[in-house]
Amino acid sequence: MKTLYLDYSKCIGCGTCEAVCKFLYKIPKIVMTRTSYGLTVPLYCQHCEDPKCMKVCRQKAIFKDKQGIVRLREELCSGCKTKNCLVACPYVAIMCTGRESPVSKCDMCVTRGALGPACVEMCPCDALMVEDRKDLDKRETPAAREAYERVRKYIICPDCPAPGS
Amino acid sequence: MCKSPPSKNGLKVAIIGAGPSGLAATGYLACMGYQVEVYDKLPRAGGLMTFGIPGHRIPASNIEESVKQLENDYGVVFKLCTKICGSEPMHQEAGDNYVFDYKSLGGRVEDNDAVLICTGTWKSRKLNISGGSLPGVYSGLEFLFPVRAAQYNIAKMEVPEIRGKNIAVIGAGFTAVDVVHSAVAEGAKNVYLIYRRTRNEAPCGTLEMDLMEKSGAKCLELVSPVRITGPDRVRMIELARCRLADPDESGRCRPLVCDGELLNLEVDLVVAAIGEIATPPFAHDLGLEDVRKGQIRWLHMTGMDSVFVAGDALTGPSSIGKAVYSGLKAAKSLDQWLTLKRQNRLQEYTGEIIRKEDLR
Ligand SMILES: Cc1cc2nc3c(=O)[nH]c(=O)nc-3n(C[C@H](O)[C@H](O)[C@H](O)COP(=O)(O)OP(=O)(O)OC[C@H]3O[C@@H](n4cnc5c(N)ncnc54)[C@H](O)[C@@H]3O)c2cc1C
Repeated sequence: MKTLYLDYSKCIGCGTCEAVCKFLYKIPKIVMTRTSYGLTVPLYCQHCEDPKCMKVCRQKAIFKDKQGIVRLREELCSGCKTKNCLVACPYVAIMCTGRESPVSKCDMCVTRGALGPACVEMCPCDALMVEDRKDLDKRETPAAREAYERVRKYIICPDCPAPGS
Repeated sequence: MCKSPPSKNGLKVAIIGAGPSGLAATGYLACMGYQVEVYDKLPRAGGLMTFGIPGHRIPASNIEESVKQLENDYGVVFKLCTKICGSEPMHQEAGDNYVFDYKSLGGRVEDNDAVLICTGTWKSRKLNISGGSLPGVYSGLEFLFPVRAAQYNIAKMEVPEIRGKNIAVIGAGFTAVDVVHSAVAEGAKNVYLIYRRTRNEAPCGTLEMDLMEKSGAKCLELVSPVRITGPDRVRMIELARCRLADPDESGRCRPLVCDGELLNLEVDLVVAAIGEIATPPFAHDLGLEDVRKGQIRWLHMTGMDSVFVAGDALTGPSSIGKAVYSGLKAAKSLDQWLTLKRQNRLQEYTGEIIRKEDLR
């Protein structure tokens, strides 16, 4: 099961991931956030094991594909007012678009085929990677863990599950 | 942008400046089949990613690898240590010591189907106070650049003496942060950060202020430099106390200098990290002022036909991400322009409205 993994200890908050995502899809799906404390980091879809967005969508417009990528079936999305998916996501990774397809989310660049996610390719710090979910704990260094905790404390809800758990 | 090199489309593009915006554009255009030549006045590619931002943040090897790949697999030609000049008299800026070849912009325009200018912001704002030009006063880039260059074992530049010295750093943006950390790492005795507002208004954020203090620097808030004194070089900096008044257009509280006693600090070096200004070497030739205001005929194109501009050179100091986005957009626009030109279809598209936000 594939997922996108960001090692926050390597991330310098330069925004290259957001830039290339915006260039390709107009509305970026990995988005820079800055806390009042001055921490600048991207937030992104972690393609959760048990995605909350998928559970709350009444139209079943969000699904997990064979590779484990959590995707949106645009034709099924009714653009409901409640936008439960958006509210449910602990990582602020579902975007309101204000266009025909009312919400959008990261699909790990499936349309790019073998090229894989553009943000991974462009990150100057090698902080972003495509990982198998079961290898995440091997991938996660103590520094990455600490940096993730910092992000979680300031941005992501404190009760959210850690990636890989 | 592509897995393997495409077949060549027979068109040639020159990119001036190998910073993040130039490199992103190079990748895009090489993938579209262009023959790309990249010029940079410095001995290594990467722009401020290589020579400004501290090395532990972006591994230099990553940039080297990408450049190698562009060279070997995509036939991109990098012409380093080559400065491109316009018709205006040239100003001196950080990094000029490395240039061993000067080439003209006009020549690039003649030899290529299009030119993209990605020269960034390499001129620093000067400290406009008495003593501001004493030896020992540096701008952020003047200070960081030799330190970074020395780490690459590229000699030729005089590195300021830092070990055991007292250093005042003025400003609280990211350049100031980098200067403080470099100074601490190079063994300065005391590093003072001097900021006229409080940490809550600091552009770098309170997190960075905390980290600087943790590293051993002293952050002085609500002080503004009035004078730098010394017999033949910096010896002392005099600071006035400030208080915060009503917010200005930027929404931050304006600092007001209070009367009263000045604070004296004994220092050996002063680094003014108070911002960089865009200096495309050919601003006048290209009518860049008009481009910034949005008076253009084609997205990212300058006043000169077939010459495009992107990155900090266009927008002023920003970030790597913004520069990358700008480079990619300019490259796409350049490609569309050349494609339509080749099909003799440019007429159909003239007069399209370009909004100011399209340039951001
Ligand atoms: C000290 C410092 C720290 C920073 N830290 C960060 C950070 O942590 N995160 C972040 O996102 N951003 C940071 N930035 C900002 C970031 O570096 C810039 O926004 C970005 O590099 C701009 O990219 P660019 O391609 O437009 O220009 P640049 O990176 O400036 O590249 C321009 C290139 O053009 C070359 N050039 C200029 N004139 C000529 C000429 N006439 N002929 C030939 N070549 C020429 C230069 O040598 C240079 O290589 C920092 C900037 C500074 C100064």
